[in-house]
Amino acid sequence: MAKQRKIIHVDMDAFFASVEQRDHPEYKGKPLIVGGQPNSRGVVAACSYEARKYGIHSAMPCSRAYRLCSHALFVPPRFDAYREVSEQIRDIFWRYASEVEPLSLDEAYLDVTYTEAFNGSATLIAKAIKQDILDETNLTASAGVSYNKFLAKIASDMDKPNGLYVIRPEQGEAFVAELPVGKFHGVGPATETKMHNLGIHTGKDLREKSLTELTERFGKAGQYYYNIARAIDERPVRSQRIRKSLGKETTFAEDIHSIAELIAKLLDLGERVFESLDKQNLKARTVTVKVKYADFQQVTRAHSAEHIIKLTDLKKIIPLLLEKTEAGHKPVRLVGLSMSGFDLPVTEIIQPQLDLSLNDDF
Amino acid sequence: MQFTVSQDTLVRPLQLVCSIVERRATLPILSNVLLRVQGDQLSMTSTDMELEMIATLPVAVEEEGKTTVSARKLLDIVRALPGNATISVNANDGKAVVKAGKSRFSLATLSSDDFPDSEGANYIDEISLPQSALKSLLDETSFAMASQDVRYYLNGLLLERDDTTLRAVATDGHRLALGSLTTSTPVSEKNSVIVPRKAIIELGRLLNDSDDTVKMAFSNQQIKVELPDIHFTSKLIDGQFPNYERVLPLGGDKEVLADRDELKQALSRAAILSNDKHRSVRINLDTDQLKATVTNQEQESAEEEISVDYKGAPLEIAFNNAYLLDLLNAIPDNKVKLLFTDETSSALVTPADEKFERQYVVMPMRL
Repeated sequence: MAKQRKIIHVDMDAFFASVEQRDHPEYKGKPLIVGGQPNSRGVVAACSYEARKYGIHSAMPCSRAYRLCSHALFVPPRFDAYREVSEQIRDIFWRYASEVEPLSLDEAYLDVTYTEAFNGSATLIAKAIKQDILDETNLTASAGVSYNKFLAKIASDMDKPNGLYVIRPEQGEAFVAELPVGKFHGVGPATETKMHNLGIHTGKDLREKSLTELTERFGKAGQYYYNIARAIDERPVRSQRIRKSLGKETTFAEDIHSIAELIAKLLDLGERVFESLDKQNLKARTVTVKVKYADFQQVTRAHSAEHIIKLTDLKKIIPLLLEKTEAGHKPVRLVGLSMSGFDLPVTEIIQPQLDLSLNDDF
Repeated sequence: MQFTVSQDTLVRPLQLVCSIVERRATLPILSNVLLRVQGDQLSMTSTDMELEMIATLPVAVEEEGKTTVSARKLLDIVRALPGNATISVNANDGKAVVKAGKSRFSLATLSSDDFPDSEGANYIDEISLPQSALKSLLDETSFAMASQDVRYYLNGLLLERDDTTLRAVATDGHRLALGSLTTSTPVSEKNSVIVPRKAIIELGRLLNDSDDTVKMAFSNQQIKVELPDIHFTSKLIDGQFPNYERVLPLGGDKEVLADRDELKQALSRAAILSNDKHRSVRINLDTDQLKATVTNQEQESAEEEISVDYKGAPLEIAFNNAYLLDLLNAIPDNKVKLLFTDETSSALVTPADEKFERQYVVMPMRL
């Protein structure tokens, strides 16, 4: 039998609205609608949880949202800001997952079957991802953990916002049986009505239908419904890109002035980055150091080597890169370190020469 | 300061002294050689702050004194003059004038007061031994030193003294070379130092195959080696050398006795098809037979077969061919003994008829 997969679905909570509330503290705690203006023909792109209480949801015409809650704040979307956060969270995903399949700016499937961190506990990995997202973007996400994409996606919706919900392999079928068909991903309102008319209200009802019956009624999708009613979903998590870099960063509680302290912080990050590199068997030739000053200005400095860079090399490289920044002169609020240049031919990566065990007694 | 000396007396000691001067010195004065005339002697000193070399030779002294001039320029001038030339050097007023026949050079000087002083050190247990013995010890081991390894303590040679044994050990993490010799004077307490790679290479150049005496002693921070006209000191590497005894394999049951020259020649020929990317040679052992195969990425192959003395089970194992050739070159004896365990464990190579004086350990490559 193939190894039981471990899939996480991560979904940012009220993404656009949360970014706006984060960047504009005055929006906090208020019904907020990101999208068109109330008098326009635009639709709601996203809304805060406070706005949802009024029955407002995304894709609703703004005029209607205005009628539901006239004191709501209407702000235009800032897609550049959302894309920036999106990149940040994707970087976080890559720290933990061997495959990352983004569904949109704020949502992705992660395959963590082969992740060794946290002894491979997908629940702890999901927790760590949520924590990293909170630490690095100041936003919350909800995560669903299960053994396929279908269940992981349902799970992420179970405990929103800031939720973490796990559907274990032995719970999968029972869980689906209880679920109203309207909650199934891939069952829209039209299909839902159609199913209700057939007396299909829950997963259990759906399961009782034969494959022939379902394909007759729903065409190709019938096979999919047949499978998901049994909590079967073999779709792999497909990365759309090959990992190009791997990095970590840290924001300080208090700005740092001392170069020595920054070097120490970066070496700590380096150790963690190399742990991840080792796990994924990646060898890098480029180190990039990112420095964000207290005034939020940010610079990156990179060093590329002819050969594979080892962890011990960072001791030499990091001070040289920091020298090229204003660190030490200006207070620093964040540093990051990433490794890239994984494109060495495989023959050079494999080191066929075996080593003497010199270090046994150190 | 003024002296006169013949070209052929000056050129070799000057060459030796200049060899440790860095091409790109961190301080201008380190590019210079210190010339000091006293009594009937000229002493020439160079340093890179780690190594210091002082050569002394008799000259015709006209005026005592000292100065420093560019080592490279002085050496180039002296080397370019004919062997029978008489060279005079006269330093005065910030200039050093070098004259020979109708040649005349005026060189800039830097004050000898700025030349770094060598630190005094408390040397203990000085030993005297023939130059040739020390030279062989270095030649037989130093090839295995690491170079620019981040494990800085491997970028040098371990010299260990224990009773009357002087042992040298080098390893780059893939192979290890160990050699030893017996000295006439026992040491008061077992001790060891790591001598930097550059110092070992310079020492190798300094020593010759004669039986002339060389004196050597260690302090906590330095090693000194004294030849009749050369005084050499080097700082040491401050670090912990790996415990080499643990690297020496014990349990090898596959023992091969081979003729060194025959094996070396076979491997050298096979190496013709090796390149930087494909350095490995595959060794196949069978009863009384050793086969060496090299293949490269162009699908070319070399096969060599030699007769050996071997009664063990068949074994296939691969090595970096250069590592094998290095150690075979270091063993002067005619017969070598190779001891294998399996294809992923280190092999031990020694001269066939001695037990512990020289031992070479080499890790295989993946097949």
